[in-house]
Amino acid sequence: MTFRMVKTIYLKEMLDMFRDRRSLISMIVVPVLAVPSLFAVVHYFTQNLGKKAQNESARVGISASVSQPGLTGALKSVGFELVPQTDARAAVENKSVAASLDLTRAADGTGQIVIYVDKTREASSIAAERLTAFLERLKLEQVKSSLRGLGVSERVLNPFTVKSTNVAPAKKMAGFILGSVLGYAVLLLMFTGGMYPAIDMTAGEKERHTMETLLASPASREEIVLGKVLATTTASFLTAMLTIASILISIQRAGLGQGGGEFERLVSRAAPDASTVVLVLLTLLPTALFAASVMIAIALFARGFKEAQSLLTPVVMAVVVPAVVGMLPGIELNVGLALIPVFNVSQLIKEIVLGEFSHLAFLAAFLSNVFYALVAFWFSVRIFKTESVLFRS
Amino acid sequence: MIQVESLTKTFRDKARGDRAVVDQVSFEVRDGEIFGLLGPNGAGKTTTLRMLATLLKPSAGRALVDGHDVTAEPAEVRRRIGFLSGDTGLYHRLTPRETLRIFGRLNRMEEDRLRDRIDEVISMLSMQEFADIKVDKLSTGMRQRVGLARTLLHDPPILILDEPTSGLDVPTARVIEEFIVSARKSGKCILYSTHVMEEAEFLCDRIAVIHEGHIRIIGTMGELKAVTGRERLREIFLELLDSGGMRKAAVV
Repeated sequence: MTFRMVKTIYLKEMLDMFRDRRSLISMIVVPVLAVPSLFAVVHYFTQNLGKKAQNESARVGISASVSQPGLTGALKSVGFELVPQTDARAAVENKSVAASLDLTRAADGTGQIVIYVDKTREASSIAAERLTAFLERLKLEQVKSSLRGLGVSERVLNPFTVKSTNVAPAKKMAGFILGSVLGYAVLLLMFTGGMYPAIDMTAGEKERHTMETLLASPASREEIVLGKVLATTTASFLTAMLTIASILISIQRAGLGQGGGEFERLVSRAAPDASTVVLVLLTLLPTALFAASVMIAIALFARGFKEAQSLLTPVVMAVVVPAVVGMLPGIELNVGLALIPVFNVSQLIKEIVLGEFSHLAFLAAFLSNVFYALVAFWFSVRIFKTESVLFRS
Repeated sequence: MIQVESLTKTFRDKARGDRAVVDQVSFEVRDGEIFGLLGPNGAGKTTTLRMLATLLKPSAGRALVDGHDVTAEPAEVRRRIGFLSGDTGLYHRLTPRETLRIFGRLNRMEEDRLRDRIDEVISMLSMQEFADIKVDKLSTGMRQRVGLARTLLHDPPILILDEPTSGLDVPTARVIEEFIVSARKSGKCILYSTHVMEEAEFLCDRIAVIHEGHIRIIGTMGELKAVTGRERLREIFLELLDSGGMRKAAVV
């Protein structure tokens, strides 16, 4: 194997790749646009939908039996819009109000205020929570005034107080969220970014009958596969870098208070420093090589572009599973878990961003990914030497 | 020089069992000779040429290209051949000049020499006007000239041409034929496959008729005429196909 041959194949693939619109879209356009649009979607849901639910939750039904001036006045004063109802339950069911109040008698004969709520609707749940809190406060006020009438101190109600404090600083929470999103987004886009180039230079070459010419040249099979795998690795890694850059720019803008929503402002507290970014990229390098080798090997099996696409799409979807598992809280990367491909990267990135990864786990993940990449590469070469696969038509 | 002895290629086929697409084929192509492999579609021409270009491994028999065994020394063989197929196998998103540069490097040409040689080949095949336009935008005739330029670029002693004129109009086919003739003058060993009778008759010094994986006859036009008693290659060809191999390899 000579460097010049591998370089020639590599440069040919790069030239070809950068002139292919499909590859450019998946490699460059998607990562550059995906992150801001992902943030925009999160922003939309947290802000607008939340606000909409908040607004809707103010509209509450009230039956005549509960409707006493003191109560309605207090409810209106905290912002509820009261709609008289004859059938409090039906009003919630047909969505004309977020929740509604009715009065019945409990088994012991005391008055019981019933809150009708539809827990599948966010606005209704919010309304019910607010009503519950309001009524509890109201109840407490009545107890207090009764106590005062009896000459007993209010303090009997509160012998001690309870308060929970989150020891994780806001920065750490933000890091956890950023790390999870980063690992997942980068992994997924790395595979999609390398997918079209991988297909184009294998199944695509078969389909266009250029493979024969390449195979009849003095380049060895190993040189050809290595050139192609390295070009696909470049595509995957480029996608990863663009995704990371796009995320960093988004959160930096939010940190400076220029645009961006609550989500970006939250994660901007965990804006990673240069060494974190370098570590993340270092983690992703063997992953890109692994992704490229696997995709080249699989795409080689296909007779043409479409077949390769249908073979690789489930692979890319399969990546989502370990990447999502890596996002779950409560899992810590140990040497054993660090051997599971894709999952180890998703988990490691999260821990790196949190600033608390184990060096041993890092090394185990790095080496195992290099190992998997080599196995996948060896497998690609094997397939490349199988003429029944190469000349399948 | 190409020496082929009892070359056989068997393909595994689930439905029909093992099938010999090329069966015990033997022939020899000398330097300075155009040797035509003539046969209908599916006769085994492409499979034979692919074995010689080391794309497929022979199931049995052996073949030497310029003294190197295709199975034992595929790299040596590939270094000595220029291989061209009818569908040219060009990268559509690259320009002819880029294509030539890449294949020159794959053939281990020195950069300085490569640059000169690319200009030389471009002017030789009158490709100046479209040398820097992507292959995508070129006509079939232009593409075939690019394919030929790629095949001749590194000046290989052996040319393996698989139906190089298929799908071309008469003037372009003529340009290709003239280049093949001039390559013979410079002493190259040329193995040429076609199913076009006129082309074989006009170009080839010797012709082998191949059908269903077997060589039916090998000889010069004169020898073929003498053996079959027919005047035109078309008639000779049809007679050989009908006789089902009765006169297999009558003249060698």
